[in-house]
Amino acid sequence: MPETIIETFELTKKYGYITAVNRLNLKVYEGEIFGFLGPNGAGKTTTLLMLMGLTVPTSGTAKVGGYDIIKESREIRRIAGLLPEGAGYYEDLTARQNLDYIGQLNDIPRLERRKRIDELLEVVGLKRWADVKVEKFSRGMKQRLGIAGVLIKKPKIAFFDEPTIGLDPQGTKEIRDLLIRLNREEGLTIFLSSHLLYEVQQTCHRVGIIRDGRLVVADTIENLSRRVLGGRIVMEFELTDVNPELIKNIEAIDGVSLVKQEDHRLYVHMEKNKAREVSETITKSGSIILLMRPKEYSLEDIFLRLYRRG
Amino acid sequence: MAGMIAVCRKELADHLGSKRYIVLFALILSLSMLLAYQGAEYVRHNPRLGFMAAFSGAQFGFSFTAIMVLFGPIIGLSLSFDSINRERASGTLSVILSQPIHRDSVINGKFLAGTIALSLLSTTTIGIMCGVTIFILGFGPTAEESIRIVIYALFTILYLAFWHALGLLYSTATKKTSTSMLISVTTWLFFSIIIAIIAALIAFLLVPARIPVRAEGNITQIIQSEEFKESMRRRAQIQMNIQKLSPAYLYSEACNLILTSKPSGGFERPVRSLTLAESLLAIWPNVTAIIAALIFCFVASYILFLRLEIRPER
Repeated sequence: MPETIIETFELTKKYGYITAVNRLNLKVYEGEIFGFLGPNGAGKTTTLLMLMGLTVPTSGTAKVGGYDIIKESREIRRIAGLLPEGAGYYEDLTARQNLDYIGQLNDIPRLERRKRIDELLEVVGLKRWADVKVEKFSRGMKQRLGIAGVLIKKPKIAFFDEPTIGLDPQGTKEIRDLLIRLNREEGLTIFLSSHLLYEVQQTCHRVGIIRDGRLVVADTIENLSRRVLGGRIVMEFELTDVNPELIKNIEAIDGVSLVKQEDHRLYVHMEKNKAREVSETITKSGSIILLMRPKEYSLEDIFLRLYRRG
Repeated sequence: MAGMIAVCRKELADHLGSKRYIVLFALILSLSMLLAYQGAEYVRHNPRLGFMAAFSGAQFGFSFTAIMVLFGPIIGLSLSFDSINRERASGTLSVILSQPIHRDSVINGKFLAGTIALSLLSTTTIGIMCGVTIFILGFGPTAEESIRIVIYALFTILYLAFWHALGLLYSTATKKTSTSMLISVTTWLFFSIIIAIIAALIAFLLVPARIPVRAEGNITQIIQSEEFKESMRRRAQIQMNIQKLSPAYLYSEACNLILTSKPSGGFERPVRSLTLAESLLAIWPNVTAIIAALIFCFVASYILFLRLEIRPER
């Protein structure tokens, strides 16, 4: 079992009458990419700010890297980096100067700072732009600069709040690949908040789904789909010929609960894996199987189902 | 501490390189050169007034003090009116605060940097004025006069720092830079122009001009009558007391006390010079008032800043 690096205990934040985060209990393990998923206004940013010690929780607490978020918030900011949503940089300074300032605020000695900045600009692919003022940067470049800013302190944990929001597909892909690479090569624990299901599915090992300040579920994507589908399997078949009698025959197989037809395709819902029996029945009927595969549930399906359940 | 120094260094570099600062500096510097020239001429024609008169008295009624009264608020406010809310709007504040620094290092560093920039501006200007005056007059200030000039410079820095702190408060209390700019301009107009008008109006309403019955119709008689003179004096008194609410007025009053080294008696001959200690004693209430106002502004913005929610605006 990997070590827990972030743990929240009944973490709650209220703004007046509005409860932004409601008794959140969450665990994030070292070395994973954790996706924090939820619609806008679900409390993702508030949670991130609390974990960085930038906002004080109304009640409950959390530990990040072993430090208490209320009493030792400065220690947390030493070992954890945050790329806030809508992060900005000094437009009249160059990429290098911006990073240098962040390095100074982290009390990194000058020579070490210079070395790290050069390395990081290489990592995020901004080497050619190092001495260009940030006002000339595209959104994607600014976001990559932001990632470099998070990494300059060599954090154990990096929080990214909606890192790809407002980026074009190319920029989105670059950021996503960069995050995956950092996790793989540097072993960086990444806590990523997003409202984009696809992004989380592509990047994260585990997902926490939050709605109205409450954690709905937190698990790996495979476990989630298993949980949502309750162990059922759906197989997709494409046949040369489909007739009502065949459907009846398949439904008659023990363990098959439902058969849905879409033109030449059949979706067979099974309690247990009866793919063998089903394909035998089809072959016996004289039809030829052109394609046969288990239907994969996307996070979106899971998400919608969970939401419908409330 | 390290965080504060880093913030201060960056802010100072920003100030010194910013167009606003350079433009204001150039304006004040060029004006003060002119003032030094005409101040020196003034001293040359009124040698009994001494070296200090170069700063306060002037042929055309415009002295360095008057320049500071008029432009001081603008200089101080312009360096700070957007220092917090601009960073908030552009998203740099949340990046800075995610670093391992105490939150107050940001506001402390900003205040310190602004004060240093303002000190640089006032000491450079006063220094150059002294140089020009010495060059034209051919003699320098006495030891006591030098001390007075140093006190004058320190007081000018304090005065500018007050406006800077007020701007910092505006930038912390408002979300939009346009709002804080508008408030700053209003403040400037209020204290440099409007308060004088209001004071005159109130004095006018409170003390109706007494016109002796027997002198009706005769302007000269009216003006020379004791009743009329008395009511004018009372009006002036009320006006002055109201204007004392303005830091600019407090500043100019104190500057005159410290600089002239002679009690100003209008057309009457100065009875005797105030000693340095007497001058200090006389300006003390004004100094205290400005320090108190500065501390109030800074503490208020400090508290507001520490309680600021740094969530991005939607």
